[in-house]
Amino acid sequence: MTAESPTADTPPGARIALWFGEHPIVVLATVLVTLVLVTGIIQPSYLSIGGLRNTVLFAAPLGILAGAQTILMLTGGIDLSVGMIATAAAYVAGNQSPNGAAIAIVLGLLVGVAAGAANGVGVGVFRVNPLIMTLAMSAILLGLFTALSFTVLQGSTTVAPFIKTLGGGSFFGSRIPYNALVWFGVSVLIIYGLRRTGLGRLLYAVGDNPVAVRLAGVRIWQVQIAAYTIAGLLAALAGILLAGRTGAVDLQLAVNFLLPSVAAAVIGGTSIFGGIGTYSGTIFGALILGVLATLLTFLDAGQAVQQVVYGSIVLALAWLYSSLTAAA
Amino acid sequence: MTTARIALTDRAGLQRTLRRFGWTAGVWLLLLVILGWYAALIPRFGAFTITSIAKNSLPLVYLSVAQAVIVIAGGIDLSVGAMLVLSNALAAQLMDGRAFVVTLLLAVVVIVFAATLNGIVGWIINVSRVPDIVVTLATSFIFSGMALLILPSPGGGTSGGFRAIFTGSSTGTGTNFWPPILMIVLPITLAAVWMRRSRAGLSLYAAGSDPNAAFLSGVRTARAKITAYAVGGAFGAMAGLAALGITGSGESRASTGANFTLKSIAAIVLGGIALTGGIGSLVGAAAAGIILFTLSPVLSAMGIDPNTAQVIQGSLIVVVMMAAGMLELRRKRAE
Repeated sequence: MTAESPTADTPPGARIALWFGEHPIVVLATVLVTLVLVTGIIQPSYLSIGGLRNTVLFAAPLGILAGAQTILMLTGGIDLSVGMIATAAAYVAGNQSPNGAAIAIVLGLLVGVAAGAANGVGVGVFRVNPLIMTLAMSAILLGLFTALSFTVLQGSTTVAPFIKTLGGGSFFGSRIPYNALVWFGVSVLIIYGLRRTGLGRLLYAVGDNPVAVRLAGVRIWQVQIAAYTIAGLLAALAGILLAGRTGAVDLQLAVNFLLPSVAAAVIGGTSIFGGIGTYSGTIFGALILGVLATLLTFLDAGQAVQQVVYGSIVLALAWLYSSLTAAA
Repeated sequence: MTTARIALTDRAGLQRTLRRFGWTAGVWLLLLVILGWYAALIPRFGAFTITSIAKNSLPLVYLSVAQAVIVIAGGIDLSVGAMLVLSNALAAQLMDGRAFVVTLLLAVVVIVFAATLNGIVGWIINVSRVPDIVVTLATSFIFSGMALLILPSPGGGTSGGFRAIFTGSSTGTGTNFWPPILMIVLPITLAAVWMRRSRAGLSLYAAGSDPNAAFLSGVRTARAKITAYAVGGAFGAMAGLAALGITGSGESRASTGANFTLKSIAAIVLGGIALTGGIGSLVGAAAAGIILFTLSPVLSAMGIDPNTAQVIQGSLIVVVMMAAGMLELRRKRAE
């Protein structure tokens, strides 16, 4: 934070804005708690272990997808194929489920790694614009898997019981969903990786000032391939969890999660231009969107109104965030 | 001595012209090659086929131009597809069962409405300082929700005369290819001339190429962005109206919008417009829009099933962009 420190003659209102600008996570937490309370007022039964559990169950795959998005946005990139990668991975996992959960999960994750690495080569080595590269990857995967679903990948479209438990089950007297546990593990890894490892710092550096990073002797294409591969892996994991929650796979499974994954990262304060952002912010973003989805379901307003309200709130939150951090 | 120097400048001038318009010319050439190839592939390439290609590529062509104007001005609009769906739903709802003259007036109303709405989006981007991609992502939800509110289930309609404007026949199918071709040529020529020749149009190029330099030289960059989004909204509405003309009824499916948005981005990049802003021409974007549409009938005429065709299409876009990136890199090294 390069803000000037507040002086004696700064008006109190501006001081408060400045403080919130320097501690955006407090703002996010406030928004989250407010949304939970509002939902609780509308539907009192929501304020229970079961109600909150459902929100987390919804938010976990989204949070992991948004993690992929966060990592790429830090490098100044973006991945418009996360939804399709997740779907493809889930489809393979569903298809391989008769061979056992372990093989299904590993093969599913491999799909994500392969697609992510291809994205990384396109962006890093051939300098294709990330929007175009991942857009095309999404189209290629959709066409490929639709074709494969009639031939090689014919057969099982339901997932193994273990994946079902992992994606939709709960433990501790059905209080804590297993997918939240996976999300927690992933979060720890991402946060630690971004803060403490060389690669994590390079991700920030590449997004912040690619020229300086290149002059410092870093091979940017390697960083980008690593970032897109990790993103592909995370997307695949999210897809498998999602398949576990619904119990069956189809080629539309995770497509609707693409835009929320970008929105969660942005609400959490990650800059689309790279170099700025944290995964803890994204976690709050995913939780906020999760509560919002629950709230809109309780309001029973119909899909049309839901979409309008959802879009308006995403816009309002992004606006609030940018005006607060601009003050700081 | 003198002649040699003149020859040299001539060649430099030619090179500059090539560099400036080479990509656009190349895209049009590619379109001609694809059309020629298509003509050789199918047994009868006549008025019916030309009409069909011209009218069915209209929505994507308009949407590519909408995206092109906004990207040239330094923005990007992830809600153009949703705008297509919204104006399609609105027009279908308003025009159902009306006379031709009334539908024409309503078309103007829809275009003005869309331009105003998207102009407000441009204003929000200016005021909030939230990146374009995020704001338009949010408005894409809002627009498709509004479309669903206006037209909850597929339906609505329009007048036969209105359909003839876009398709050449009041039933939507026919062999009169002049109306759809004119509907491609006229609006795009107008917009392209406006972009290159008018003060406002040039200010979009200036604002997209370097907003700070443009601002310091007296260009009103904020106004340029609002103008770009408004013009983009108007072309998005044109796309929705064209879709209404082709099918004769409206449908508000959000996935249609998302698909069209992605295609419009692919089209402008293929059309030679830099996503960083300030570079490219609307004419190139329009040709790329027609190419992206025509590829699917061409591939299906070759006996390739639609799914494989989609894989080929995606791979082609990547290969073209890789080649362009390599050329750009080599040119930079040569300089």
